[in-house]
Amino acid sequence: MIEISEITKTYTTNQTKTIAVDNLSLNIARGLVFGLLGPNGAGKTTIIKILTTLSKPDTGRCIIDGFDITTNPIEIKKRIGVVPQENNLDRELTAWENLLIYGMLHDVKDLEAKIEKSLKMVELWERKDSIVSHFSGGMQRRLLLARAMLPEPSILFLDEPTIGLDPQIRRQMWDVIRKTKMQGRTVVITTHYIEEAETLCDLIGILSKGRLVAIDTPDNLKTMVGRYVVDIIDEEGHLNQHIFKSREEAHEMASRLNNCSVTIRKSNLEDVFIKITGERI
Amino acid sequence: MKKSGWYPIFLREMLLFRRKLLKLGYIFSAMVIPIIYLLAFGFGLGRDITIQGGDYLSFLIPGLVAMSSMNNSYTWVSSTLNLNRIYFKTFQIYIQAPIKASSIMIGEVLAGMSKGLFASFLIIIVGYLSSPTFYLSPIFIIVLLLNCFLFASLGIIAGMITKSHEDTATYSNFFIMPMAFFSGTFFPVDKLPIFIKSFIYIFPLTHTNIVMRKTELDVEGLLSFLVLVAYSSAFFIYGSRLIKKYSE
Repeated sequence: MIEISEITKTYTTNQTKTIAVDNLSLNIARGLVFGLLGPNGAGKTTIIKILTTLSKPDTGRCIIDGFDITTNPIEIKKRIGVVPQENNLDRELTAWENLLIYGMLHDVKDLEAKIEKSLKMVELWERKDSIVSHFSGGMQRRLLLARAMLPEPSILFLDEPTIGLDPQIRRQMWDVIRKTKMQGRTVVITTHYIEEAETLCDLIGILSKGRLVAIDTPDNLKTMVGRYVVDIIDEEGHLNQHIFKSREEAHEMASRLNNCSVTIRKSNLEDVFIKITGERI
Repeated sequence: MKKSGWYPIFLREMLLFRRKLLKLGYIFSAMVIPIIYLLAFGFGLGRDITIQGGDYLSFLIPGLVAMSSMNNSYTWVSSTLNLNRIYFKTFQIYIQAPIKASSIMIGEVLAGMSKGLFASFLIIIVGYLSSPTFYLSPIFIIVLLLNCFLFASLGIIAGMITKSHEDTATYSNFFIMPMAFFSGTFFPVDKLPIFIKSFIYIFPLTHTNIVMRKTELDVEGLLSFLVLVAYSSAFFIYGSRLIKKYSE
């Protein structure tokens, strides 16, 4: 269980104060895949950094599995696994050595067997003795996931885990994340990818300028803003979108339009995001 | 031994260090500056000079060992920590691991010490080959270890507080470089004018050079030794505190 209560985090650069997280409160129940959706600069990574003890909030409290993040960070660190947005593997070490060091840091029991299991899970066992700098970007992302899973954490934090990956590798990563959920673990994931959020997440929080502007299941969020979207491309090529609660309302509007291209489709989380925040992801 | 805490941090550094050692360029770069000083000052300028009742080479070699151990312990730690924290983000793995800040400190300092001792070892070999009077006393070895510890701890502080990799070079130019030249490596500090001398005694390397050249621990040596212990403790505690307070 993750309980976040009124946390705020500001950064000051060149005497300019930026509010990265603004009075954010939310609870994430055990065993859920929770997605944080938002554009660059919305505060997603800052929230992950706070929850994974890398960043201290200015105000507010975070409790993970009953432990306060500021007073008992070591207990929290025993329970979490992190896939950061930026690749922080040791590039001059082998895949095996990377996992060995990480496993020792987390005091993993039966370490060698678990390293083997983790590397096999992400299909990198055959490359265990290769230097990581020789790996492709996709292989390095998979190794990051294997590393995070090594201590068998009860909560897994994934910050843009599939960024820059080709669709096939992305789906392999999704399989691992689904399996993680099936094992009863909590997953907190930030993503730009709408399909990823819709496919994986039980609950989605929409962030805009550091504030949590909506939180619900993907289905409920879509129902809330409207299930049907009319995409209208005018003679100048500009796209206008209108969201409706029912198919009938969407058809009625579409039937009134002339001299433009009209498409009626089901809404997705990007539509939800645009409707709620007025921004694009 | 429990293989968590400081050990994986030390192991990681040693794995990376081993790979560097396999490249000949590293060993050469660790030796080149002290060897140049040895050739230029020891065999060149110092051929006909006697200092403290002995030949200049016997005076110079302990100073070069002190300087080399300082440079390598400090530079390796400050530079790699800064890069790992700001660019490669591998330091963040330690922060997110369930270990104490002091464990991170110990692991990093031991790694820095190993690198400083390795470079010193190379100079000691040259010392044995070039100076018949050079020998390793127990005091020498203890102070060498303490010097490596002190400057590796200082390296952690520099690596934690610098905001870019370029800054580590600036710190090195302002603190390490003057120490290398004015702290008694090449000439005794008592030859310096009084107003400079009082300033020079602030530098920890001055005290390393004083104790390293002693065969027995007299009052002056003991005082310098205590100064080194005080600096080491202060740097270690402050470095651990910086790690504990780390926040992005």
